[in-house]
Amino acid sequence: MATPAARLPAAAALRRRGASVAFARALGPDYRLGYLFVAPIVVLVLALVAYPFGYAIYLSMTRKYVGVPPVWVGFDNYVKLTWDGFFQRAVYNSFIFTFGSVGVKLLLGMAMALVLTRRIRFRSFWTGVLLIPWVAPTVVSALNFLWIYDYSLGVLNYLLVKVFHVLPRGVGWLSEPGTAMASVIAVNVWRGFPFFGISFLAGMKAIPAEMYEAAAVDGATALQRFRHVTLPALKNIIVIVVLLSTIWTFNDFTIIYILTKGGPGGATQVLPVLTYEIAFGAQRLGEAIAVALYMLPAMAAVIIVLARYMRKGGAR
Amino acid sequence: MRVRVLAHAQGAAAYAILTALLLVVAFPFYWMFVSSLKSEEQMRSLTAMFWPSPAVLDNYRQLLGKTDFGAWYGNSIVVAVGSTLVATAIGTLGAYALARLKFAGRAFMASATLITYLVPPSILFIPLYAQIRTLGLADSLTGLVAAYPSFTVPFVTWLLMGYFESIPVELEEAAMIDGATRFGAFRRVILPLAAPGVLAAALFAFTQAWNEFLYALVFITNVKLRTLPVGLSTFITGDVYGWGFLMAGAVLTTLPVIAAYTYLQKYMVEGLTAGSVKG
Repeated sequence: MATPAARLPAAAALRRRGASVAFARALGPDYRLGYLFVAPIVVLVLALVAYPFGYAIYLSMTRKYVGVPPVWVGFDNYVKLTWDGFFQRAVYNSFIFTFGSVGVKLLLGMAMALVLTRRIRFRSFWTGVLLIPWVAPTVVSALNFLWIYDYSLGVLNYLLVKVFHVLPRGVGWLSEPGTAMASVIAVNVWRGFPFFGISFLAGMKAIPAEMYEAAAVDGATALQRFRHVTLPALKNIIVIVVLLSTIWTFNDFTIIYILTKGGPGGATQVLPVLTYEIAFGAQRLGEAIAVALYMLPAMAAVIIVLARYMRKGGAR
Repeated sequence: MRVRVLAHAQGAAAYAILTALLLVVAFPFYWMFVSSLKSEEQMRSLTAMFWPSPAVLDNYRQLLGKTDFGAWYGNSIVVAVGSTLVATAIGTLGAYALARLKFAGRAFMASATLITYLVPPSILFIPLYAQIRTLGLADSLTGLVAAYPSFTVPFVTWLLMGYFESIPVELEEAAMIDGATRFGAFRRVILPLAAPGVLAAALFAFTQAWNEFLYALVFITNVKLRTLPVGLSTFITGDVYGWGFLMAGAVLTTLPVIAAYTYLQKYMVEGLTAGSVKG
């Protein structure tokens, strides 16, 4: 029994083949399987990221309350925010939180990577344990620290006052404006520095030993070898990890929401938490999204630079 | 002589730094575990601060018997497993296509996937919530299973692109010379070779979904439908439950992630995560 294709007149078959060759030439040799395999991602990205993103930009230019249709107001929300004291403070806090955290993570991560590249015993044990904060649920870590920081029963005050006698009396780590920001930064650092460390470690392993030997033969000290061999070789990884962490930290909601909800008195209020509160506390959705999107141009610049660096690594 | 003394000093310094880091990293987990085993009275009286005396399981019993914790555990499993299966299936096919196949728009798609991975949830959660509501999926686990691939799929895809690229092209070409189609070569040759990477990517996706907080907090209002992280965080507000109780919940919430991690550790150490970050 002949298949339909075999019954086609020869000329038509040839034309069809010609068409598919033309397609292949225009779209690449694997276009059928390629588009088939990529289609779900395209649908997903359009539905779950691109569309909501576009909708967010639209909503930010409206006055929108939950359950009521949006009213177009143009850039009003952005203009109002610009002169809003709470918002200004949240922007300032977000920058302090981000740069403070990323700076310390960079230093600790570098220290972690440097000690782990040495010939030490039980290296995989050390590495394994040091990575745990990175995989543990953020909520769990935040709750652990909420308990550790507790004023009356917390172990931090117990250690500082009763065991080491460093302080005469306990500190309300999260309830005093002077210590709250440093305390939440510490938690973000605790959770995030292992990612820096493990990434730097992977990069250091890729540096050929001959480069260090050559530097040593030339009489370079350990510090000089670090500056002139390690750092240049790690440059790409450092840029990627720092930018990645900057985006994550700037948008970190969980740690501050659990630990302080932005308090005391706005001392740790950052943009993601402010967005949430305006949206679900005050129910003003348009304004809330404007808060989230206000820093978008800066964030987009960081994301584009970062994506370039990440694609440069490997053949991508 | 001087060099050797210096080397020793450096070695000692390295161990000192390691020990300090280890203490800082491990203590909160130790403290969580110890607190979960302490009785209410011991907690209040600040006696035998650093170990439970006596160790009791009251907190665990209360948690499982008197709260919705068990239901939340089930919810978390449903949401994390469901969204992981979706993400792994979509991500594996997509990553193979983006890493290996030649078609117009491939480079653009690869960049778009990466940029999607970098768009933060703090921008997306309100419009996504609106969308989920319009679809009638607000306050349902299905809504979370539908939303989580927004971050797990780009991640899995990005991770596996690197993995597929590391498998020699020649293996595939050999299969095709032997008469396999492109799809056949993918299914019979490449996929089995990539299996460990796919499993690692799936476990990473599971961990991310298991730990997710913001979407679960916003999308779900029904107490019974909460996931673990959100449910756990609501224990703070009621001072009814003690800290030991909260820490018992924290221990049980962390366990599956640690189990996944024991498999993932070697991939993380080899920089596969960062290999998404390989520079």
